[in-house]
Amino acid sequence: MTDTHQAEVIFGLSPVWFAGSLFVLSYALIVSERLNRAVIAMMAAALMIVGGVLTQEAAVQGVDFNTIGLLTGMMIIVGITRDSGIFQYLAIRSVKLVKADPWGILVMLMLVTALLSALLDNVTTVLLIAPITLLITDTLKLNAYPYLFAEIFASNIGGTATLIGDPPNIMIGSATGLGYNDFLFNLAPIAILILIISIIPIYLIWGRHLKTDTALKNKVMMYREIDAIKDWVLLKKSLSVLALVMFGFIVGHDYGYQAATIAMFGAALLLILNCLPHDQEKQSKLVAKSLCDIEWTTIFFFIGLFILVYGVETTGLLELLAHEVLRLTDGDKAVTAISILFVSAIASAIIDNIPFVATMIPIIKNMAVSFGGAEELLPIWWSLALGACLGGNGSLVGASANLIVAGFAERSGQAIRFLPFMLIAFPMMLVSIMISSVYVYIRYF
Amino acid sequence: MNASEAMDPNPRTLRPTDTIQCAADYIMKNRYRNLPVVDENFCYLGMFGVNCLLKQVIPKAVFLHQGLENVGFIHESFKDLYHRFSEVKDQPISICMNNEIKPVAPDTPLTETMMQLFNTRSSIPVVEPGSCKLMGMISYWEIGDKIFKAGGINND
Repeated sequence: MTDTHQAEVIFGLSPVWFAGSLFVLSYALIVSERLNRAVIAMMAAALMIVGGVLTQEAAVQGVDFNTIGLLTGMMIIVGITRDSGIFQYLAIRSVKLVKADPWGILVMLMLVTALLSALLDNVTTVLLIAPITLLITDTLKLNAYPYLFAEIFASNIGGTATLIGDPPNIMIGSATGLGYNDFLFNLAPIAILILIISIIPIYLIWGRHLKTDTALKNKVMMYREIDAIKDWVLLKKSLSVLALVMFGFIVGHDYGYQAATIAMFGAALLLILNCLPHDQEKQSKLVAKSLCDIEWTTIFFFIGLFILVYGVETTGLLELLAHEVLRLTDGDKAVTAISILFVSAIASAIIDNIPFVATMIPIIKNMAVSFGGAEELLPIWWSLALGACLGGNGSLVGASANLIVAGFAERSGQAIRFLPFMLIAFPMMLVSIMISSVYVYIRYF
Repeated sequence: MNASEAMDPNPRTLRPTDTIQCAADYIMKNRYRNLPVVDENFCYLGMFGVNCLLKQVIPKAVFLHQGLENVGFIHESFKDLYHRFSEVKDQPISICMNNEIKPVAPDTPLTETMMQLFNTRSSIPVVEPGSCKLMGMISYWEIGDKIFKAGGINND
């Protein structure tokens, strides 16, 4: 530990106190939303170095470049693929498959959202699906609220199912070495079950009352989904690369390739394919546009956060917290897993799940010795992933995707308010966590 | 030279309570692109014009921030567009007034006024400093006429 620290005493404080105080203050600022979260994380990371908790070299070691690479690579791939119009095509096709029936549309849009969230990321998915939803509900003269509510749920549930679906899973996968298939086999079955069960209350509350007339349905049926495809050549290239990347995720882990390598390889390949037919000036513009599509705020937030948490970790504070958690659960693995599931769900409904998971990862890693090795931690990792991802459904601020959908709703004059949303969403989220706890207990204990 | 010398001091105006149908008729008849909206004290409130009308007939999801970028799959007829317009035609124009067009002060230098006209891509209001009173409007045609006249060309 000594090689990571610049000094034993910082401003008269011990590193534990300094790092702990900085950590708590940063979290409080992130929760207060007074400043952009990326700026807070970057400042906290800088203070970890200036304050002497970490050397600059140690701070760089703390950054999980697998997570950063995976996020960046996927953002580039999705950004280019989006321009082909394929996602709009899928949404319209699914709506026409159910003959524009209002309840059928809700179910289909939920399924498409869940599927895309599992394969892409939640924010991109809702950015693509919410405008289509508003167009369709406007045409059918239906209240958009049930549809947008259902899409929020579907995006968080779908994101739970895969390694790349939600940032907490990316972080857990990177920290533990768990691969795409591990997430798929362990989390996808329960995600599918929860998605199906979530449809029931949505039907009882709104679905059975959704009605429209045939003339309006015909208008939706006149949408020509094929015209949503703007660039067939780009579509073929991007779908081929996306399929290659998915294949890479599935088989690459066995050959020692990390997810970031596969995503960055896919991104570079798609950039080459997208640029090749054009002259140098156009190529520069295309590359610049693709790199601008990366959510740099998110990337810098992750970098700052990794350094902040690593700083706290090197002081031994998170190890102390891990022992405290084990003391509270009497060292019982099942109790620990279920407790982490519920605590992460409730915490993720209130605060951003990314910093929460970043903190929990080293805490859980520190439990390995007590439980008899890293292999024994698997149920706890799945509990953390389920709690952090599904917990996002608990409130409007639980996930970035929720806020994006709420923004669309507000702009279309059908605002989703915090409390009315939470009154329905929080109990539904708790039900999903109860189902998850039964699943974790039956499958792993 | 400044904005007060480039403006039309007697512009046509609309009231915020005018209906969209009424304002649309007036705009269409006179081929205006934008008209200033003022209250009973001639206080400038915003602009209403053809873009506001277009917004009423195109699906809402298109104009939302981060809304639909690709609308090639929607195939509508003039009847569909009119149907959408008829739903809002009796609403006051205040519901879709453009408040983002920044007015200029009468003493704004000509070049700065021209820059704003270029960036706004719409006629710009001239408003009395320290109050909201509309003093005139500057349009492309007004400016163009004055430039030609300065060169001895009369388009009248």
